[in-house]
Amino acid sequence: MKYFFKLRSFQSNIALAFVFVILMAIVVMSVTSYYMSRESVQSNAQAYTTELVKQVNRNIESYVNGMMYMSDLVANNRTVQAYFSSGYADPEEAKAMKETIADFLGSMLVSRNDISSVNIFGADDKFVLGRKDLELNPYAGIKSMTWYRDALAADGANVVSSSHVQPIFKDRYPWVVSLSRELISPDGKQDLGVFLVDLNFSVMNDILKDIKLGRRGYVFIVDRNGRIVYHPQQQLIYSNLKSEMIDKVLQLKNGTFTSDEGRDSRMYTVQDSDFGWKIVGVSYVNELVANQDGMRLGFAVLGSVCIVIAILIAVYLSRRVSRPIRQLEKYMKEVEKGNFDLHVPVPRTIEIGRLARAFNLMVGKIKELMSQIISDQEQKRQSEINALQAQINPHFLYNTLDSIVWMAQSDKPQEVIAMTSALAKLFRASISKGEELVPIRNEIEHIANYLKIQKMRYSDKLDYLIEVADSVQHYLTIKVILQPLVENAIYHGIKKKRGPGWITITSEETDADILLVVADNGSGMDEETCRTLLFPGAKRTEGRGVGVRNVHERLQLYFGPQYGLSYKSKPGAGTTVVIRFPKNRAVIASGE
Amino acid sequence: MVARNYRLILWFLAVVAVLGALAGTARYGFARFSGHDPIAIQVIVKSTDDSIEFWQVMKAGIEVAASEFGATVEVTGSRTDADVDEQIALVREAIDKKPDAIILAANDSSRLVPVSEQVAKQGIDFFIVDSGIDSKIAKSVIATDNRKAGQEAGMEMLRRLRAPAEIAIINYAATAASLKDRERGARAVLERRPGITVLDTYNAEGQRENAYEIAKRIIRQHPNLRGIVGLNEPASVGAGRAIRELKLQDRIALIGFDSSVDEIKQLEEGVMQATIIQKPFQMGYLSIKTAVDAIRRKPVPEAIDTGSLVITKQNMYEEENQKLLFPFYDK
Repeated sequence: MKYFFKLRSFQSNIALAFVFVILMAIVVMSVTSYYMSRESVQSNAQAYTTELVKQVNRNIESYVNGMMYMSDLVANNRTVQAYFSSGYADPEEAKAMKETIADFLGSMLVSRNDISSVNIFGADDKFVLGRKDLELNPYAGIKSMTWYRDALAADGANVVSSSHVQPIFKDRYPWVVSLSRELISPDGKQDLGVFLVDLNFSVMNDILKDIKLGRRGYVFIVDRNGRIVYHPQQQLIYSNLKSEMIDKVLQLKNGTFTSDEGRDSRMYTVQDSDFGWKIVGVSYVNELVANQDGMRLGFAVLGSVCIVIAILIAVYLSRRVSRPIRQLEKYMKEVEKGNFDLHVPVPRTIEIGRLARAFNLMVGKIKELMSQIISDQEQKRQSEINALQAQINPHFLYNTLDSIVWMAQSDKPQEVIAMTSALAKLFRASISKGEELVPIRNEIEHIANYLKIQKMRYSDKLDYLIEVADSVQHYLTIKVILQPLVENAIYHGIKKKRGPGWITITSEETDADILLVVADNGSGMDEETCRTLLFPGAKRTEGRGVGVRNVHERLQLYFGPQYGLSYKSKPGAGTTVVIRFPKNRAVIASGE
Repeated sequence: MVARNYRLILWFLAVVAVLGALAGTARYGFARFSGHDPIAIQVIVKSTDDSIEFWQVMKAGIEVAASEFGATVEVTGSRTDADVDEQIALVREAIDKKPDAIILAANDSSRLVPVSEQVAKQGIDFFIVDSGIDSKIAKSVIATDNRKAGQEAGMEMLRRLRAPAEIAIINYAATAASLKDRERGARAVLERRPGITVLDTYNAEGQRENAYEIAKRIIRQHPNLRGIVGLNEPASVGAGRAIRELKLQDRIALIGFDSSVDEIKQLEEGVMQATIIQKPFQMGYLSIKTAVDAIRRKPVPEAIDTGSLVITKQNMYEEENQKLLFPFYDK
C-alpha cells in the first residue's frame, strides 16, 4: 500500500509525466530519424545502382552498336550484293569476288578481340567466312539455327540473339551473342542470305561478373522474350534453386521495384537497352543500407542513453518542482502539532509562493485568534473574580456599619473610633492596588482587622487567636479568603452557641502547599450541611455559605481543582476548615 | 480508482518501453559484437585436372555458394580419380585444419571409410558430394542419384536397339561408388529386357586410352555387340573414338555419361546417341548450402538428388541444356 501511496505522490506524477513526454519524443525521433537515414542511404544506393546499370547498358550498347555498324556496311556493300545475287557468274570471277568479300569481312575483324566471327551465308549454299582459320562444322545445319530463322523473319532488320553456343564452326563451341540480318537485293525483291556477326560472350561476362552490388547483389540480362542472356547463377535458375522475377522485369521499361521476400527481399533496377535487352541490377534490400545493424544499434544506444538521462532529469526536475510543496507540507505538519510559531520561507515559484504566503497569513491569523481567545478568557475570569469579590464586600460592610451604628447609639465613641479605623485598615488591605495576589501577611493583617471589628461587636462572646508562622508570611495568596470563613464561623457557629466562642487561625506547610486552618468551637454542622456547603446551587438556609463557596471557587479557579477548602465539623463540636493552595512567590500565569 | 489504474498502466508502459529499448540495444550489440567466425569448409574432390570440366563447374557452384552464404571454402583434390592414397592424405590434412565441415567426393567407396570416420570423431560435420562411401556417417549426401541415372542410360539404350543384342558396359574406376551405382541401374533396366545380353563390365582403370582399347577389343570379340554404355566421360569418349574409327556408328549405339567437347562432337556426328549429364554446378552449390545449414543447426536431408538429364543431338542446343553442356566458367 505504501508503494501505491508513493506512486500517487505529486513528485512521482510529475516524474511520470516528464518520462512519458520525453520517452515519446525520443522514441518518435529515433524511429523517424532511423527511417529517414535509412531512406536516404537506400536512395543513395538506389541511385548508385541505377547509374551502374546504365553504365553497363552503355558498355553493352557500344558493342552491339559496333556490330550494327558492321551489318550496315555489309548490307550496303555492292560486292556482297553482286556475289550473292548472281547465280550465273563465271567461277573464276566468283572466286575473286569471294576473296574480296572475305578480305572485306576480315578487315572488320582487325584488332577486334571482342568479335568472334563475321560471316555471310547465302540463300543458296554460298558462304563467306571473315576468319580464314575457321571451318564450318559439317554436322551443324545453318539454316535451322535460331539466329538464321530470326533474321529471315525480321525482313532485313538487325536481330540480336540471346547468349548461346555457336556450333557452326568445326571444333569450336564458343558462347556468343549473335547479330544477324537478312541481306536483301537493292530492288528489295531478292533474299540474298544472312549476315552473321558473333560477339564473344566472354567480353560481356567479363564486364558483368565482377559487378557486385553489395555482398550478394549482381547484374543480369534478359532479352525481350525473357530468355536469360547473362545471369551469374543461371544454372541455379534453370534447376529452380533460385528464381528471378523476369515477368515483372519485362513489364517494366526503366525503373525500380522490390520483391517481397522478407529478409531476402531484392531490389530490381531495370534499364532497357535499344535492342530489346533489359539490364537488371539486383541488390539485396538488407544490404542496401550497408551498415544497417550498426545504424540500428547506434540509434538504439543513443535512444537508450537519452532515455536514461531523461529519466534522471525527470526525477531531478520533479524533485525540484515538488520541493516547495513538500516543504509546505512539513510546516503544515508542524502546525498540526500545535506549533504556530513558524514562518514558511516564500519560494520564488509564483503559485507556490502565493500558497506559502497565504499559509503564513493563515497561520498568523490563527495564532492571533488563539491569543485573543486566551486573553478573552483571562478577562472573563478576571471579571468573574471581581464579581465574586464584589459579592463579599457589601455583606460585611453592612454588618460593620450596623455595628458602628449600634455603638454610636450606645454612646461609645472610643469603640466607634477603633472600629471605624479598623474598618478603614481592613478596606485598605483588601482594596490594595487592585492586585489579585497578595502576600499572606496582608491577608493576615486583613483578617486581624476584621476580627478586631467583630471582637468589638461581640466582646466577651468571641475570642480569637492568629498564629501564622513567619516562614509562610511571604507566600502569595488570593485576597479575601479568610474573612468569609471567619465570618461564617462567627455567624453560624459561635453566634448560635451558648456561651463564649473562640476562633483560631493557624498555618501549616507541606513541600508544595500551604495550609491555613480556621477552627472554631461553634455549634458545628451536621454531615449533610458540611458536605453540600461547597457545592454550588445546593439548597441552603439563611444565605449560609455564599461567601465560603466563593472562596472555594476562586481558589479552584485560580490554582486548580485540587486546591480549595475542606470542612470538618460535627454538630455541637465546632468546625475546622482548611484552606489549601500552592506555594507561590511570584505572580503566576493563567491557571485554567 | 480509475485515475489510479490509469496511472499504473502508464507506469507499466514506461517501464516496458525502457526495458524494451535496453533489451533492443543489448540484442543488437550482442548480435554485432559476438558475431561468430566465418564458416570454414574443406572440400576434397576427385580430380584437380583442369581439363575435366565436371570438377571445374562444381568448383564454380561451390564459389557461388561460398560467397552467398559467407563461408570460407578451400577446394583440394587428388590429381586423378584413381589416386586413393593421395585423397586419404588430403582428408587427413583437411582434418588438421579444423574446419567446420569437410565435404568429400570419394575416389574409393571403401578405403576412404576409416579416414572419414576420423573426421566425424573430430566433431567436424562430414558431407559427401558426387560419390559416396560405404558408411552412413555423412550428415548428407549431395549427389546425382546415380542408380536413377544408370536406369535412364539403360532406357535410352533400349530405345535404340532391337533384341537380340549384346551390350557392354565400360567402367572407369571400379571402386567409385557413383560408377557402381550407375552400372547397377543400367544393368537392372537392360537385363530385364528379354533378348538383351549384358556382357561383363570392363574396367578402364582410370585411363581414357584403356577405354578406347577395351571398346575396340569388345567390338572385335563380340560381333553381336549393339550397344556400349560408358559409365563416365573418359570411358564414353574412349568408346566413341573406337566406334568412330571403325565406322560402326550405325550398328553400335553409344550411351555415355557426363559431357565434354569430345562428347558433343560425338553427339553431333551421331557416334554417341545420348549422354546422361549431371549437374555439377548444383552439386557444388548445394553441398556448400547444406553444410552451412547443418553448421547453423538447421535440419538437413539425408540425401539430396541433384538430378540428371538425358542429352541427345536434338535437345543439346536448347537454352537450358547449353549451360550444362557448355559450362561457362572462369578458365
